[in-house]
Amino acid sequence: MWLPFRILVMCLVFGSVALSWPQASTIARLPRASRAEIVARAHAIANHGWTCSSSNLNASCSRKYRSDWKAGQRVTGIPYRWGGSDTPELFDKKLAQGLAAGAHSQYGILSCAAGIDCSGFVTQAWGLPAGHAYSTSNLRQIAGKPKYNWYTDMKPGDALNLPGSHVVLFTGYNPDGTINICEASGSKGRVVCHSATWSRFVKYIPLQYKGIDE
Amino acid sequence: MPQLTASIIFVLFALVQGLAAPRSIASPRLGACVVPLSQTVRIPVSPAGASEQADSRDVSISTLLVSKGAVDELPEGPTGFDVLEDGSFVIVDPLRKRICLFNPQGKFRKAWKTGFAADSVTVMKNGLLAVEESGTDMLHVFDRDGVAKPQEAAVLPRYGEARVLSGSSGIVNHISAGGTRTLEINYDRQGSRLLSLQALAEDAEGNIFVAVEGTTAGDSGEEIRLNKSIRRYGSDGTLSREVSDIPLDYYVAPVGELRVRDGKVYQLLTTSSEVKINVWNTNDQCQHDSE
Repeated sequence: MWLPFRILVMCLVFGSVALSWPQASTIARLPRASRAEIVARAHAIANHGWTCSSSNLNASCSRKYRSDWKAGQRVTGIPYRWGGSDTPELFDKKLAQGLAAGAHSQYGILSCAAGIDCSGFVTQAWGLPAGHAYSTSNLRQIAGKPKYNWYTDMKPGDALNLPGSHVVLFTGYNPDGTINICEASGSKGRVVCHSATWSRFVKYIPLQYKGIDE
Repeated sequence: MPQLTASIIFVLFALVQGLAAPRSIASPRLGACVVPLSQTVRIPVSPAGASEQADSRDVSISTLLVSKGAVDELPEGPTGFDVLEDGSFVIVDPLRKRICLFNPQGKFRKAWKTGFAADSVTVMKNGLLAVEESGTDMLHVFDRDGVAKPQEAAVLPRYGEARVLSGSSGIVNHISAGGTRTLEINYDRQGSRLLSLQALAEDAEGNIFVAVEGTTAGDSGEEIRLNKSIRRYGSDGTLSREVSDIPLDYYVAPVGELRVRDGKVYQLLTTSSEVKINVWNTNDQCQHDSE
């Protein structure tokens, strides 16, 4: 009578431990970051200045490639590259080597281009190294839903995520109720920080990085 | 028999009248008229492909260009527009790096190349167009024929600064020729919290248009949920009209998607198959007006 029940309980206990252990170890390995550090890193990427040279207008690995930029153009903000996660230092190095400045998804993931995409930007601001495996679809592995009221109590360094589509970093509220965000924007071709109305974020899910030092 | 015929004619006449002139409905909750959608102007789009290349023929293509994006990349396409005096539309076409003009029915009139992708366009008081470049946020100035003008001519209109005071109230410090005056905003939607306020425009009669965002979601919802409305306040600060529950199913993330001209509220909404411009006419008669 009791044996099947005991087996069931043991299965549940060991099963849940086995399932949660990899996630717990992932969280334990996450780099720790304060909210001030996260926002400072985001602003550093958005304020990173660079000049596009003629060698950065072409992508050696894609004939179809068309640049967003002009030769000699001075730009503020690391350019948008789909699938990219370059740090400012790595980006400067690649630019000097003559890699293309930024690229959109229509050209595929280009190894011959330099830049950063939306999930690369947010995870880098959180302190994760370049080349990690997180996209907007699996950010929940390293970031949970905040328990506080999203509309009034989000904190700088939290994110707004539309799984499979886009993610932005929240940096604060404005007196008029709009919010300040930083994002790697495909339409703007680079990382930018700006204010936005809530309407843009219908169906997005707020996330709080699990490596936050409060 | 003649009575029956007369009755049928009367019913048909009443139906035609009702359909032809949608009237605003007085809302006891708001004390304002809720303005129905008057019209939707539809402009066809073309899907952007990898083979798409900007070239000189772009100025004669009558459709706007939209990319479908990808996993971890948002769709791109027209994000901003404005309305000219005759009801024509000027719309940015960033993927073709051009500015387009359409007539009030959405028929293509002309376009010109800018050499850059633009986010938004604003018709300034001097009649010139201020166009914001996506890659640099720089303002460029053009006349209606696409001739570039000195950048110094760019003066974007400012209608006031808003402040949310609580979940049910806020103020707009409205800037007009007569100086600054404070407009009190009461947000009394049952179970809803005021999120944001934005002063959009002032018309010739001194009416002020304010965009209001609110939410009924608490802190335990699954995702961000909200409603957006545009309110018209009279020059005496009285709320007189409301365009409620503006559609928010944006396919391309908006930048300058709301405009007001001559009492009409316009919204640009780019979908995967067309660019829709929704129009609400706040000048339509309201039951309150005749009481």
